[in-house]
Amino acid sequence: MKRFSKFYIGLILFLLFAPILVMIFFSFNEGKSTAVFTGFSLRWYVELFKNGEILNALKNSLILAVCSSIIATVLGTAAALGIHHMKNKYVRQPLMTVTNIPIMNPEIITGISMMFLFVFVGGMLGLTTKLNFWTMLIAHVTFSLPYVILNVLPKFKQMPKALPEAAMDLGCTPLQSFFKVQLPAIMPGVVTGLIMSFTLSLDDFVISYFTSGTDFQTLPILIYSMTKKSVKPTIYALSTIVFVLILVLLLISNRERSTYERLEAKKIKAEKKRKDAIKQAKKSKQVSETDKIKKVRTSTNRGLPSHIKSAIALVCALAIIITFCVVLSVFSEKTVVLNVYNWGEYISDGSEGSLDVNTAFEDYYYQTYGTRVKVNYVTYTSNEDLYAKLSTGAVSYDIIVPSDYMIARLASEGLLQKLDFENIPNYEECITDDFRGLYYDPNNEYSVPYTYGMVGVIYDANVVDEEDTGDWDLLWNPKYSGNILQFNNARDAFGTSFYRLGLNVNTTDKQAWNSGLEELQKQKPLLKKLVMDEIFNMMESGEASIASYYAGDYLTMVDNQAANVDLQFYYPENTNLFVDEMCIPTCAQNKELAEEYINFMLSEEPAIANAEYICYASPNSLVYNNETYKEDMGEDAIEVLYPENFDFSEKYDSNCYKDLDTETKEYLNSLWEKFKTGVATDEEEQEEQPIWPALIVFVAAIVVVTVMIIVIQKKKIKRSKIS
Amino acid sequence: MTGVPPKSNKSRSLLQRYAAAPHIVWSVLFIIVPLIFVAYYAFTDVSTGEFTFANIATFFTKDYLLIFGKSVKLAVIATVICLLLGYPIAYFMTTCKPKTQRILMILIMLPMWMNFLIRTYALMTLLQDTGIINTFLNSMGIDTIHIIGTEGAVVIGMVYDYLPYMILPIYSVMSKMDKSYVEAASDLGCNGFGVLRKVIFPLSLSGVISGITMVFVPSISTFYISQKLGGVDTLLIGDVIEQHYTAANYNMTASLSFVLMMILIVGLAIVNHYTDSDEGGGMLI
Repeated sequence: MKRFSKFYIGLILFLLFAPILVMIFFSFNEGKSTAVFTGFSLRWYVELFKNGEILNALKNSLILAVCSSIIATVLGTAAALGIHHMKNKYVRQPLMTVTNIPIMNPEIITGISMMFLFVFVGGMLGLTTKLNFWTMLIAHVTFSLPYVILNVLPKFKQMPKALPEAAMDLGCTPLQSFFKVQLPAIMPGVVTGLIMSFTLSLDDFVISYFTSGTDFQTLPILIYSMTKKSVKPTIYALSTIVFVLILVLLLISNRERSTYERLEAKKIKAEKKRKDAIKQAKKSKQVSETDKIKKVRTSTNRGLPSHIKSAIALVCALAIIITFCVVLSVFSEKTVVLNVYNWGEYISDGSEGSLDVNTAFEDYYYQTYGTRVKVNYVTYTSNEDLYAKLSTGAVSYDIIVPSDYMIARLASEGLLQKLDFENIPNYEECITDDFRGLYYDPNNEYSVPYTYGMVGVIYDANVVDEEDTGDWDLLWNPKYSGNILQFNNARDAFGTSFYRLGLNVNTTDKQAWNSGLEELQKQKPLLKKLVMDEIFNMMESGEASIASYYAGDYLTMVDNQAANVDLQFYYPENTNLFVDEMCIPTCAQNKELAEEYINFMLSEEPAIANAEYICYASPNSLVYNNETYKEDMGEDAIEVLYPENFDFSEKYDSNCYKDLDTETKEYLNSLWEKFKTGVATDEEEQEEQPIWPALIVFVAAIVVVTVMIIVIQKKKIKRSKIS
Repeated sequence: MTGVPPKSNKSRSLLQRYAAAPHIVWSVLFIIVPLIFVAYYAFTDVSTGEFTFANIATFFTKDYLLIFGKSVKLAVIATVICLLLGYPIAYFMTTCKPKTQRILMILIMLPMWMNFLIRTYALMTLLQDTGIINTFLNSMGIDTIHIIGTEGAVVIGMVYDYLPYMILPIYSVMSKMDKSYVEAASDLGCNGFGVLRKVIFPLSLSGVISGITMVFVPSISTFYISQKLGGVDTLLIGDVIEQHYTAANYNMTASLSFVLMMILIVGLAIVNHYTDSDEGGGMLI
């Protein structure tokens, strides 16, 4: 039995730690991939300390975690004290229920509900930035509070009732009695609560996702926004460092604790020995006075256990460091801040010897105008994500980089400002007619192109036969069943089936959408998985062999592919084209500076750095005509990104995504849900009417349960009265 | 008999009386009021802003009920597996030496300190067809097992992410349990299994219940795990809520949240009621 239990504990621990070991392993990868190991190197650790974005997010996470856990601990301890002494059952019971809500409620609901509140209140107060550091702080305090209370309350209960009274009888004021007598007694609970709320806050993603604003991006949010492009081993390197740090800290505190215990044991032994000695001595003579005093001292010398002391010291130290950081940054940052909201991994960030574009802009601006600016760079996952943040009016950005159809939508809803091209002289010079007057911005008022590209088909030539390639049929080819990937978002997935059928991707005809769904359902049994960023790992490692994705990302995959994988690429006849453009939203605080930034992004050096980093095609003539750029990218890559004899403007108009009207969008969403849940389309008659009976049953069930609970409660009260 | 002092805490000090006040204000402002907002949005129309049942009714259409059914199914499976895996380990831990117990506690809590997005991502690398497990199996001559993209993968992700939430409350209740009960039971002729069934399990029930809650609630509402590890048809209720949020349809977001919340409240109320647990009965740690 003993051996089995040891084996079992070992097994579970192994399972818990296996993914962490994988993470540590891949943090030492030489290549960019988190799935294909190419060799040992420390480069990602070096990159990490050069990466301002990640370090900044880490700093933010720490600040938030320290602030929120301290506030929650103070509030929670006070609350526990109050609740413990509460006499009125009808206040106490509901209060406990309310306290427990954030634990019982799914995080997603807590997050959404708080977002509603902040946006509403912010709207009433007329704030431009409704979600910021303070809203996140409030959210984090709210969800950590119950954990503090639940940890502290039992300690109050365990405390002898007479203790505070004794203290007061001996002349303590209530406040003194609390700090001198009660607080030490409940300290273990307080420390546990503090540590738990710190952990929860540091790791929280879901609630932060809904309540975070522009100026403050925490680490989990940053990681999530990396999901359009691939997650890089830098994050693994950071996690490894954090892991090792925590492990060491915990082990040290544990060792201290066991040394403390050993000392304690020694003390007890010594005490015993002395007692024996005293006993013997008693036989002969009286106990000496000094011994008595010593005895009293040793028996009362029972302060906090040292591990708790060290934990407190640790947290205090951390708090001091971070407060210092905050104070420092508050005082030093008397500069103008430019808020840039861009896709994840969508700017040259200084890694691997590339140009750090944002820092370069800060330097350039300082040299030209003598003022310090600070670029606050925040990232998002999708156009819809961006829209969700902008449309609540919860945030204020100076620069955003939406795609074409989103620009149309934002412009039509009045969320974009007209640009002053006087301030963007580079535009005339380097943006050709191809990228002017496109449908979403016919008069060239709102946007300056950043990147563009096309969706193509990527396949593994070691698996796929050459003759099967060339068009969309490859993604429907039963020969490669279980080897095909499809987009995990409605618009792009339907897009592939529409291009295959030769339909208009912007149609409002429901019949067309239905036939698109039919196509997708035919494809479904052949699919391995629906993917976004996972595509990088899966294609690079040979996990899947066929997928459609953006040309630029294909180039990234080729760089990281495993030895037994040979990725190839082609454009089918009809395929999606997109342009991502820089815009200034109406909520921008600093329009002129934003225009300066846009102008800087168009100039040669930053534009080339970005193009090489992102790997997408650049609409900037200074880039695609540059010889060094062509050389750096290689001939094959240039061919993929800028196919010859390709008339952009002609293809663009018929194949790009346009903004769909609300009804079509809703319909598309419902079809997508249908596709994912697997309800066949031929059962259409059944799905029109909402199932009212179910609703009635649901309401009835609630009523019945409530009545039952009340009845049982009453019976119980009766029973307890009888007994 | 002896002069039991009258309950003197009738005269509560000012501090004791008002210490909970900030918490009450905070709870009302940031817990109750936001939930009222959810209810408000749930019952209003997207475009007109008028009162309507339509959003709520959408939940009870076939598609959504199927999605909800699947979420419940996966969350239940994950919770049961967590319980089956976690209960024995919590029990075995209590039989270890105190020093070992502490180290084990640390080791079980340690993964919770790592970002769960990253852990889920690493899990993906592990489970892939060309991942470490399958490479190992292949080298032993066993065929590749397809895990990623199945419902099984989502369950594995939930179990992996939330297992510590099951172990810790059970362990915390068990470690406080009076060992003399167990001795008494075996003295009175109970065999090993009988002790477990009749003494240990009932005594640890409050920990089990809070463990189940702590695993079931995040499992049923997750969206990241199903996105990363799930396949073509593992759309969960959390995914749908998130989809409506990114589509900026707040009324649907609110109504789905509202119904989910109602169902969970009713469910948890029943569970809590039958376990008779005193407030905060089994907490974490």
